[in-house]
Amino acid sequence: MNDPAIAATSAQTAPLVATNVVKRVLGPGAKSGSAPEMTILHGVSMQANAGEAVAIVGPSGSGKSTLLGILAGLDAPTEGSVTMQGQSLGDLDEDGRAQLRATSVGFVFQSFQLLPGLSALENVMLPLELTQQENVKERALTVLDEVGLSHRASHHPLQLSGGEQQRVAVARAFVSKPALLFADEPTGNLDTATGERIAELMFDMRKNLNAALVLVTHDDDLARSCDRRLRMTDGRLSEL
Amino acid sequence: MTRGQQFNFALKALKRDLAAGELRVLALALVVAVASVTAVGFFTDRVGRAVQRQAADVLAADLVASSGSPVNPEWIDEAKRRNLNTALHTRFPSVVINDDDESQLVAVKAITESYPLRGTLTLATLEAPDVRADLSIPAPGTAWIDPQLRDILQLSQGSLLALGAKDFVVERIITFEPDAGENVMELSPRVMININDLAEAELLIEGSRARYSLLMAGEDADVDGMSEWLSDNYATEARVQGVRDGGPQLQRALERAERFLGLASVVTVLLAGAAIALAVRHFAYRQADASAVLRTLGASRSDVISWLVIRLSLIAIIASAIGVAIGWLAQLVLADLLSTWFSLELPAAGIQPPIIGTLTAFITLAGFGLLPVIKAGQVPVMRVLQRDYSDLQTGSVITAILALLATFCVVWLLSGDAKLSAIVVLGVVAMLSVFALFGKYMIRAVRKVAGPRFRLSVAGLERRTASSVVQLSAFAMGIMALLLIAIVRVDILAAWERDLPEDAPNVFVVNIQPDQVEGFGQRLEEQGINNNGFFPMVRGRLAAHNGESIVQDDMSERDERRARREYNLTYSNELPAANDIVDGQWWSEDETGLYLSVEQEWAEEYNYQVGDTMTFKVAGVETTGTIRNLRKVDWESFQVNFFVVASPAMLAEFPQTFVSSFYLDGNFSKATSGWAREFPGIATLDIGAIVARIKTLMDRASLAVEYVFFFTLLAGTCVLLAAVQSSQGERIRESALLRALGASHKQIRHAVVSEFAILGIIAGFLAAFFATLIAWALSREVFELPFSINPSLWFFGVVGGALGISIAGYLATRRVLHTPPIVALRHSA
Ligand SMILES: Nc1ncnc2c1ncn2[C@@H]1O[C@H](COP(=O)(O)OP(=O)(O)OP(=O)(O)O)[C@@H](O)[C@H]1O
Ligand SMILES: [Mg+2]
Repeated sequence: MNDPAIAATSAQTAPLVATNVVKRVLGPGAKSGSAPEMTILHGVSMQANAGEAVAIVGPSGSGKSTLLGILAGLDAPTEGSVTMQGQSLGDLDEDGRAQLRATSVGFVFQSFQLLPGLSALENVMLPLELTQQENVKERALTVLDEVGLSHRASHHPLQLSGGEQQRVAVARAFVSKPALLFADEPTGNLDTATGERIAELMFDMRKNLNAALVLVTHDDDLARSCDRRLRMTDGRLSEL
Repeated sequence: MTRGQQFNFALKALKRDLAAGELRVLALALVVAVASVTAVGFFTDRVGRAVQRQAADVLAADLVASSGSPVNPEWIDEAKRRNLNTALHTRFPSVVINDDDESQLVAVKAITESYPLRGTLTLATLEAPDVRADLSIPAPGTAWIDPQLRDILQLSQGSLLALGAKDFVVERIITFEPDAGENVMELSPRVMININDLAEAELLIEGSRARYSLLMAGEDADVDGMSEWLSDNYATEARVQGVRDGGPQLQRALERAERFLGLASVVTVLLAGAAIALAVRHFAYRQADASAVLRTLGASRSDVISWLVIRLSLIAIIASAIGVAIGWLAQLVLADLLSTWFSLELPAAGIQPPIIGTLTAFITLAGFGLLPVIKAGQVPVMRVLQRDYSDLQTGSVITAILALLATFCVVWLLSGDAKLSAIVVLGVVAMLSVFALFGKYMIRAVRKVAGPRFRLSVAGLERRTASSVVQLSAFAMGIMALLLIAIVRVDILAAWERDLPEDAPNVFVVNIQPDQVEGFGQRLEEQGINNNGFFPMVRGRLAAHNGESIVQDDMSERDERRARREYNLTYSNELPAANDIVDGQWWSEDETGLYLSVEQEWAEEYNYQVGDTMTFKVAGVETTGTIRNLRKVDWESFQVNFFVVASPAMLAEFPQTFVSSFYLDGNFSKATSGWAREFPGIATLDIGAIVARIKTLMDRASLAVEYVFFFTLLAGTCVLLAAVQSSQGERIRESALLRALGASHKQIRHAVVSEFAILGIIAGFLAAFFATLIAWALSREVFELPFSINPSLWFFGVVGGALGISIAGYLATRRVLHTPPIVALRHSA
């Protein structure tokens, strides 16, 4: 293993999530018509340990979201393998990966991705309902209170500002106490001040849970507050 | 997740959907589909059965088996075995003589107690002819008579009438005989007696021309079974008549009404189905995002699909329940109207219509919705990270096959006719392809000629070519169906009106002697009655065809009887009204040869052609003529019609009587009271009751036709809504963007409304074209109606289409304009 991103980490414990020489090639698929074959990720290896915050930065179109998707098991690599909590994602089927996400993974997206038909509270309740837990409502309300939005519980996403929506999304990501959090430009759609508050919230909650964080961002300040920084350029990852 | 949890989750989601109005159009389309199928089903079922019952009145039974020899006891046993009620009657011509030794030819009908099985026979005493005084059967030794006979023979209550070897006491006059229509050609007044008096009166001697009938009534299935049994086992002995074999007018009216109702309900369901299809795809499309988010959060694919399917099933169940309730109420109201207007007892509603209605909803939903929903559940989760990573692909061969299969199943369910269903499916496919193809080119063409004012709207159409073509096809399909049903409906109503004009003849006078014609004509004129002329009538048997004798030695008894039957012949130099030559030529007045004109269907049945010769035996003398032409006779016109018309040279010298028919306004017996005395021997037949009955039937059927049309209209509206809805999200985002870029409300409204108007014009044009084409085919092949190109169709199609769709578009823009651009844009992020 001569990949710099791996070499730089010396933790002896098994990483929470890791990729091993992951390649992602977009074929001349049916959808893209006659578009030529395109390699988005050229053999990327990286890992994140429990409680560690890893930032991925890099220019637009370099493959950051693609990598995040593969790490979270939303997409499968063309070559290479991904392990999460010691399990190889390649051995799991779609639904197995979904189940792993339900119990161990939280998500925050740039475009919030709240379900428009549900109220703020219902959005936060969703992950708990999916894993059939007890006291769903109380627990969701507690987390909603932590992000300071308990007074807006019954409001629907369209009635909330962008920052408020993202706070609901953060609450939703943490409500199931995940071991691993993925965030794709969580502050990208927000003004600087609001973005800072969201980041603060995320880091606080992460610390309480001792969860690992993989964060894609353009924000250098945000990247600097992480334990490690990786740079994606043209589908290749390097340590900063 | 367990099933129960999935169900709870889906139920919650459904509540939210309903609250958010997300499923409004889908639910509406489902309700309309179920309600219309149910209402139309209920209605056609109930009215159909009522009409059938009424048609049964004309037979006095559901089924009649008659024969020239006494009714076979096996038939009666079989009928009883099949739980059918039975009655018997025997009919034959005879002569009655009164106390003054005056005689009159009569048509005797000897009956059993249960006659009639359907309809009612009404009676009155001779003293009080206007007061009903019904009896169940003539007591032995008594007779019921036609009022005419009372006048001719000057009878009163209790008078004696000699019939055969027995004297009968006159007890009643017959004021209404349900199956009198059947006996019109018996041409003499009725006398009814008890069937048990036949033997004593020694009336049925060897060779008497008696007709023995077994009347049967009961459940449809039993009646059908019996009818089959008879034709399987006694085809040669029995002449079997069912309700459907009623008079040609009635039969055609019934058939047309049924076909129309069938067509309208199929079209209605297709329309509602199209609306469901559009709405459910819209729903699936909207669910794709949510499904990706749910799966990111850890829901499995099958969970997501289960929720969607459960949600759709629940909405289908709720909509079906509402639809069935509405359909039931609608038919209740209508049935109530019908029974008060026509004093008609409708049979109770069956359970089939709601089942078919509900099945229709589920099949359509599954056929059009299942695959999009599954695809929505399987949408790549990467969507949450990369918005345009992968669009929901719903168009595929399997989708199309499933949709076609669903269409086929629904049409089959409704019509029970697999071939018809296949034709409908192929027709829809062909039509949609043409709509799609032409639509695309027409949108392009419009783009070329559009001025700068319309650039924005046409640009909108082009930007969304795919969804525009779908919308266009939906609009065109909807307008086409409405136009089609509208024209066929008008054509049918007009045909009925034509068949039975206000002044359709309701009185036939027969047996007018040649020397009475002039006097009787004057008499009619004095009474202000317009008659349709006098037609000579010569009775003769057909003796030979092309010189070959008709009666052969080796003939069966039945064939021989048939061959020996008497024909009513007439002669004329003019082609009778309501007749058309289909082969050969009519003869001119100065031709003096012996010519014949034969009714086309009769000629076909016996294989007679132009140029063949026919020999008739009239009053013991043979006369031979050559067939000059074949005629098509409009039996639906209540005119005097003949199978065979001869040239005067052939028949004018033979003994003959005259017949006439006319419309009599007012009281029949008052108007005709003196005629029997003044013109001895003539017989007057009142068919007013029959005409009135057919008219009532047609009125009922037309109401049903109007009513079903209303549901078609409703389903068309659903398609419109669903089509508008399918592009609304896109439209809202787009207009928000345009407004953000500085477009005014007015500009956007103008763009949206004119975009819809352009779609409407194109759709209306295509629709009018196809409606004309299909109406032409239908009127030729199915309804047998004359067809004429209807210019107003194009007007209504194009103008109505443009107007209706722009109004819908305008309403849609209100929503578009009332969504603040910031909300719309935020929503689309
Ligand atoms: N389905 C697809 N079809 C074609 N190209 C794709 C597809 N998905 C990703 N790409 C391409 O792969 C490259 C990497 O995309 P990715 O979304 O990972 O970039 P990114 O680093 O997240 O960019 P950004 O910072 O703008 O979000 C881009 O050039 C993108 O256009
Ligand atoms: Mg990205």
